[in-house]
Amino acid sequence: MPDLLLALHIPDGFLSGGIALVTAILAIAAVGWGLRVADRDLDEAKVPLLGVLAAFIFAAQMLNFPVAGGTSGHFLGATLAAVLLGPWLACLVMTVVIATQAFAFADGGITALGANVLNMGVLGALLAGVALGAAVKAFSPGRGAFLALVAVVSWLAVMVGAAATSVELALSGTVPLTSALVAMLGVHALIGIGEAVITVGAVSAVLAARPDLVALGRFEPASGTPDVAAAGGTA
Amino acid sequence: MGGLCNHSLELTGLAGNPASPVHRLDPRAKIVGLVSITIVAVSTPPRHWPVYVACATALAAVAMLGRVGVGDIWRRTRVVLPLILFVAIFVPFLRTGGAVYDLGPIKVHEAGLLVLAAVAAKATIGTLSAVLLGTTTTFPAVLHGLEAMRLPRTFVLIAAFMYRYLFVIVEEVARMRQALASRGYRPRNALQAGALGRVATALFLRSYSRGERVYLAMLSRGYRGAMPQAVPLSLGRADIVFVAVVLASLVPLRLLAELA
Repeated sequence: MPDLLLALHIPDGFLSGGIALVTAILAIAAVGWGLRVADRDLDEAKVPLLGVLAAFIFAAQMLNFPVAGGTSGHFLGATLAAVLLGPWLACLVMTVVIATQAFAFADGGITALGANVLNMGVLGALLAGVALGAAVKAFSPGRGAFLALVAVVSWLAVMVGAAATSVELALSGTVPLTSALVAMLGVHALIGIGEAVITVGAVSAVLAARPDLVALGRFEPASGTPDVAAAGGTA
Repeated sequence: MGGLCNHSLELTGLAGNPASPVHRLDPRAKIVGLVSITIVAVSTPPRHWPVYVACATALAAVAMLGRVGVGDIWRRTRVVLPLILFVAIFVPFLRTGGAVYDLGPIKVHEAGLLVLAAVAAKATIGTLSAVLLGTTTTFPAVLHGLEAMRLPRTFVLIAAFMYRYLFVIVEEVARMRQALASRGYRPRNALQAGALGRVATALFLRSYSRGERVYLAMLSRGYRGAMPQAVPLSLGRADIVFVAVVLASLVPLRLLAELA
């Protein structure tokens, strides 16, 4: 029962005004670009599909697993979203999820929304997009190598989010940097393992069942360049 | 297994008397009013306790006007407690960590406690005000208000569809977890989370085909990329009074704290 879960939803008042503003600007920039990609590459009428996939991410975040000492972590899904939708649509979908958690569930502060979107959505999605996209372009990995990369990236995405959270809280004077970093990265190193195991399981199963739905890292060169429109590709 | 302890679906939706004056306010008025209370609290430096008290009083008045019960408020607000605890853990370290707020000769240990108290007050006020928005305003109405406040339409549409299917999909994931548990799945560490990956896949594929079906069903009913709005929003006198009273009672106090 004592689910510590990811202590990543920063509430109101934990961030200084400056940090809240800077993270909000970065998040708005990423989401704005995501909206551009959606409007450009996605048939507007297929927006409902993105909504359903946002609900999927929200529900998948309820998958929790034991971490250590009676605490548990839960699935975050930024890497999975980036693999399935491409990084920019993943930013958009993760932002909708996190904003809904703030507005409908009071989880995560409205003034900390920018930071939460950055830590739990944008950083992970872009990291996955850049790393996996570059790897696929550079040496077109086989299925096994791709899944290994997905594992590493999804673990890293959780760590980067935890590190960003610690740094933002420390710069705001809420927690001391060193001990917060040690504590957060220690716990999230384990949570990241769960994230990696779930993400790899999910990606490998989607690759087997519906490879056409994987936006990042296609294996058949015949299907053309990986493109974000794959999110709504097969109606 | 605690199960679906985070974002339990009972912790969202309207509460209180849906016919109350607060429930009937325009969503824009409630968004502006309640977010202003949060911003006033969050922007107030520690030690200006009267401002925090005024914010809390304003929220209590909103709750009473809306007849939102204490039980509902408590159940939804307590999500913030573990996070305050998280900060509390670090208070002893702030003695050496230093450089919190420049308090001069005061012992840093006290600075740590001050940080904790301010953070706890702000986080509680912020969470309470979001809870009151959620208990007095349906999520579609919040979105409708945000759209009228120029939030990009694509974003609003995605959020609206997400909320519409959230309950179905969350219940689906709950059934899948139950199925796993009834077959003896009791993961003891993160490495045993693989089965959850397969749950995620099945959920994704089902959600995806549900999305496709929904989209086709909508097309066949004449969907052209925008949802018709059944009830147009209108700002009335009550809405203006609400926002004006909130701002008039908090902003002067907040400015006074700046001078003090």
